[in-house]
Amino acid sequence: MGLVNYTRQLIRLWALLGGFILIGIILMTAYSATSNLLLNAPVAGDFEIVEMGVALAVFCFLPFCQLERANVSVDIFTMNAGPKSEVLMSILASTIAVLFASLLLWRMSLGMTDYREYEEYTAILSIPIWIAFPPILFSLFLLILASLITTAESFRKLLRLKVEGKLKKPDFK
Amino acid sequence: MDSSFIIGLAGIAVLIILIAIRVPIAYSMLIVGISGVTILSGPAVILSQLKDLVYAQFSIYDLSVVPMFILMGSLATFAGLSRDLFQAANAWLGRFRGGVAMSTIVACAGFGSVCGSSLATASTMGKVALPELKRLKYSPALATGTVAAGGTLGILIPPSIVLVIYAIIVEANIATMFMAALVPGLLAVGLFILTISIYVLIVPEAGPPAEKIGFTETKKATLAVLPVLCIFGIVIGGIYVGAFNPTPAAAIGAFLIGLYGVIRKKISWNNLIEALLETAKTSGMIYLILIGAETLKIFMSRGRVPMEAAELMISSGLSPYMILVLLLIALIILGCFMDSLSMIILAIPFFWPVISELNFGMPEDSVKIWFGIIALIVVELGLITPPVGLNVFVIKSLSGDIPISETFKGVMPFFLMELVRVTLIILFPAIVLALPEFLSG
Repeated sequence: MGLVNYTRQLIRLWALLGGFILIGIILMTAYSATSNLLLNAPVAGDFEIVEMGVALAVFCFLPFCQLERANVSVDIFTMNAGPKSEVLMSILASTIAVLFASLLLWRMSLGMTDYREYEEYTAILSIPIWIAFPPILFSLFLLILASLITTAESFRKLLRLKVEGKLKKPDFK
Repeated sequence: MDSSFIIGLAGIAVLIILIAIRVPIAYSMLIVGISGVTILSGPAVILSQLKDLVYAQFSIYDLSVVPMFILMGSLATFAGLSRDLFQAANAWLGRFRGGVAMSTIVACAGFGSVCGSSLATASTMGKVALPELKRLKYSPALATGTVAAGGTLGILIPPSIVLVIYAIIVEANIATMFMAALVPGLLAVGLFILTISIYVLIVPEAGPPAEKIGFTETKKATLAVLPVLCIFGIVIGGIYVGAFNPTPAAAIGAFLIGLYGVIRKKISWNNLIEALLETAKTSGMIYLILIGAETLKIFMSRGRVPMEAAELMISSGLSPYMILVLLLIALIILGCFMDSLSMIILAIPFFWPVISELNFGMPEDSVKIWFGIIALIVVELGLITPPVGLNVFVIKSLSGDIPISETFKGVMPFFLMELVRVTLIILFPAIVLALPEFLSG
């Protein structure tokens, strides 16, 4: 139980880290644009920093997004579904998230190997692209953990419903 | 029809089923996209694309305005913008019959332009405006109808995230889309105020005037919103005159709003953390949907679904305007169930190929802009369409004892006015196209 709570905290902090990266990018971009407008001197290669930084930040956001179940779904067709089918649907959704996150972690770690082998750099600042990947892979690892946590939550709810169902049965007789 | 087209159609059917059983839209698209490509072309294709696809998408420069505008919006919420806007509008308009409802519309438009989500606008403004409307004994139908309809205003008034996403999907210029959306957005504000005036003309007791607010109070309320209005002037004006691109504009806007909130001591450290986490949730959700849309697009284009559907539509012998109206009706219906952003990401890749092949007597770039604005309005219309409009349900949860049928009754006049607006824009594309043409010379 303690471990799960630590993981939750870590996921939240990781999202905040992404948030601060975003703030950094915002400050840099605002400075660059103002300096470009007034002194005709933008930060060199600012858009490369924006591209890489925002991508990093968004990857940091994904696990938190899953943990908070912030991914939009359509519930209007299942508004009158019973609590049991509701839990089953949420187990399905979380399982899909686990599968997707694992698939992506596997493929993107190979993607990093490719970038290291073929040494791709950004055009102006010559930042090697692969250096963005280790934190991204860690984000995906956290995404797997987050989806496992939401899956476990739903299973626990299902069990509770079953127990309650058994207790309630005598009442109906 | 070949087998890959049929597999593509089956994919759409599975997608709809998954979405209907509450699998998040992003994951529904991902699972259908990835397995669809695997069925059509074997696993190797999609597996090799997944090595780089997500990073490539997340690092698209134009998309970076999305998290920046989202952060700006959540910071603005903490800066007390909703109440300030409502009080300022009220100081000017409240004294007229139906005036507090009109103020609600103006405040909704202002707040919605920063916020970008109709549901959030309706609920935030509802919290501020509904108690006041209730206190003044506005009819429940008019009060709740106004807030529900007002929520839909933000989508067009720049900066709008949905507009950015549309521009990226159809490869239009974001700055041009922002220019095109302004007049139709303001038109909506005008028409909604007109709706309220007609409403209280027919049912005078529905919207009694509020007590007059003195000059000093009015001045104070107006001055309170002035800095924020200036910030938006800088952001949007800067984009319009070409001083900066949308991304730097968004960065400057987010920075200035943050600075304003800190100076006025309205944004504390805890607020900042909360705003960042809110931004994380919303941005993460949007980017994940975009990845889903990308995998779905690979699948669909391999199954030639958008192309075949376009050919089918065009060879049907219907006139271009008939096809346009059919697609718009489809959007209204789908818009009843889904939020506008998911709707745009899901439907536009199918609808745009059809529209782009039709002849409306305009160059394709103009059609792109014109159709985008109409599509956005119509998607929002779904949010207030009886009997399912999502905005109405949001208001229901806020207003408690007012039956939902009352809200739908109150929303109807606005709904009809929206149809008038869409018709006007279809008949006179200049409403959309004149400003971009003027500004880009």
